[in-house]
Amino acid sequence: MNLTATLLDTRRPLSLDQIADRLEPGYPDDLAARRRSFERDKETLRDMGIPISVESTDSLGGESGYRIRPSDYYLPDLDLTIQERAALHIAVTAIRVGSDAGRAGLTKLGGIEGPGSTPIARLDLSGELAGCFDAVAKRAPLFFSYRGDKRQINPYGVLNRLGNWYVVGHDLDKGLPRAFRVDRIEGSVSIGKAKSFDRPDDLDVGSFVKSDPITYGEDDPFDALVLVDKNRAVGVVAQLGEECVVERKEDGAVVVTMRVVNKEAFRTWVLSLLEHAKVLSPDECVAEMVAWLKEILARSK
Amino acid sequence: MSPRPQSATQLQRMLALVPWILANPETTIDELAKRFEVSSREIEKDLAVLPLCGLPPYTADRLIDVLVSEDGSVSIRLAEYFERPLRLTPGEGLALLAAGRALLAVPGSDPSGPLANALVKLEEVVGGPVAVDVGNTDHLSELQSAVAKSEQVEMVYHSFARDEISTRRVDPQQVFHALGFWYLAAFCHQADDDRLFRIDRVQSVRLTGEQSKKRPVDDDFESIFHPKVNDERVRFLLNSEALWVIEDLPIEDSIERDNGKVEVVIAVSGTAFLDRLLLRLGPAVEVIDPPSARDDLVKATQRILDLYSS
Repeated sequence: MNLTATLLDTRRPLSLDQIADRLEPGYPDDLAARRRSFERDKETLRDMGIPISVESTDSLGGESGYRIRPSDYYLPDLDLTIQERAALHIAVTAIRVGSDAGRAGLTKLGGIEGPGSTPIARLDLSGELAGCFDAVAKRAPLFFSYRGDKRQINPYGVLNRLGNWYVVGHDLDKGLPRAFRVDRIEGSVSIGKAKSFDRPDDLDVGSFVKSDPITYGEDDPFDALVLVDKNRAVGVVAQLGEECVVERKEDGAVVVTMRVVNKEAFRTWVLSLLEHAKVLSPDECVAEMVAWLKEILARSK
Repeated sequence: MSPRPQSATQLQRMLALVPWILANPETTIDELAKRFEVSSREIEKDLAVLPLCGLPPYTADRLIDVLVSEDGSVSIRLAEYFERPLRLTPGEGLALLAAGRALLAVPGSDPSGPLANALVKLEEVVGGPVAVDVGNTDHLSELQSAVAKSEQVEMVYHSFARDEISTRRVDPQQVFHALGFWYLAAFCHQADDDRLFRIDRVQSVRLTGEQSKKRPVDDDFESIFHPKVNDERVRFLLNSEALWVIEDLPIEDSIERDNGKVEVVIAVSGTAFLDRLLLRLGPAVEVIDPPSARDDLVKATQRILDLYSS
């Protein structure tokens, strides 16, 4: 507590000796022990999110000095009303995120307000997601390894769809908007310089990841027609939306149109309907489907 | 007594407590205990440590001054440097925004109410949009109200694993969202057992007006997804393109084979589930055991091919 206060109150960085002189209760006189206790305290504070910066104590790049810049430490005034605090408390109790980070956040905002809720949903925030979000919040480039390739993006936001977290942004190598599944990031992410880019004004994070994986990919786009029999018509129309229906047959079957940008995902989707769906066009797509099925048959017999 | 807090948790709480008391000088120990979810005794301990904290040279005018009056109201002086709380960590900001966005996406939430306003303010300070799409919410509010009123429901359900559509009468117990989908936990009269239904596979719902039986609900959503003991076990050989299966499906056993191939065992709850997986993987997978799984695949493949030859 006193170390935090001292580092927060000082205008210039303090060396370890200066800290030890001032602080009460002080650090051990033995230099190695003093360094060890200080490092331990520093880590504890940093783990809590207290931003201790390391700067040189003089302009000549001399000894390391430490301080907490007030602008890094203080939470800007959120000006939350009682109702808004209560709503956040309900959200944190209704949606389980698999850690107590939400509650720790509420504590900083002044503790809980009003009654909580019974849990209704689970949303896992594990892995590299916090690192990705940090880059989003700082508007800093994000570097990571994905399917064996090194990637660098300007991350615009994070999105959860169908239970998967995506980081979306501008791929700096390909010069294209892209979405990456956070759980497929290999190793740890690293973050570049803050405030490196501006987010687009008309940003719609949801548009980066289509609600259906079929409509998300890098193949040359084409439109396909699929016949779905009466047994699966209701479910398919609910999934794709009424606007995809091209024709309704008398027996209850439907013909739906869909834009394909990922042939593999399209094939998977059609096959997931088993014998209830048939690709009608384009011909090339029909031929590929038949070839795929014949190969499975040949290998299984 | 030492000015060192006993733990990081206590330090964290004290750093939040001080700005709150500075901003709300009429607060009481009981109120603080409720607000910070600890006992009054813990708050008293925190308040006892504070007067030992301050700045060098730790003379009376540099130490935090805590006043607790007889009616339990608390005020603090000489702690100006702690007048604002510590900023949120990226993880905390993310957790608040994600939970808030998820709840806001559930039907029934007010899109311009206090939660929405709080999230706008938070995003401004924390930064960065967090979007949560909670998926298809058709039939959700009907089923939620059936749970709330303990009312029996008749529904038309598409069992994806078995590729069957059936009408079932159920006693709904709980509606929840996990892994991207909404689920209904219910007692199914047809199966005479507890079942978990994916709500996006419910085709229609009818509230029967009859009372349903309440049963104890497992609050740990996770446990419901474990494979059942009597599910069939199937053994496959996957080649390198199909290894995502290991990450995405509950694999019970895996053995590395030559040429980067991996042999795995998966619990299978229905023939259609298995057929879909094998049709999707195509040449990248080979069924080892049981032979009936291979026969089923041949039949399923033939049924689909027949569509194209007609």
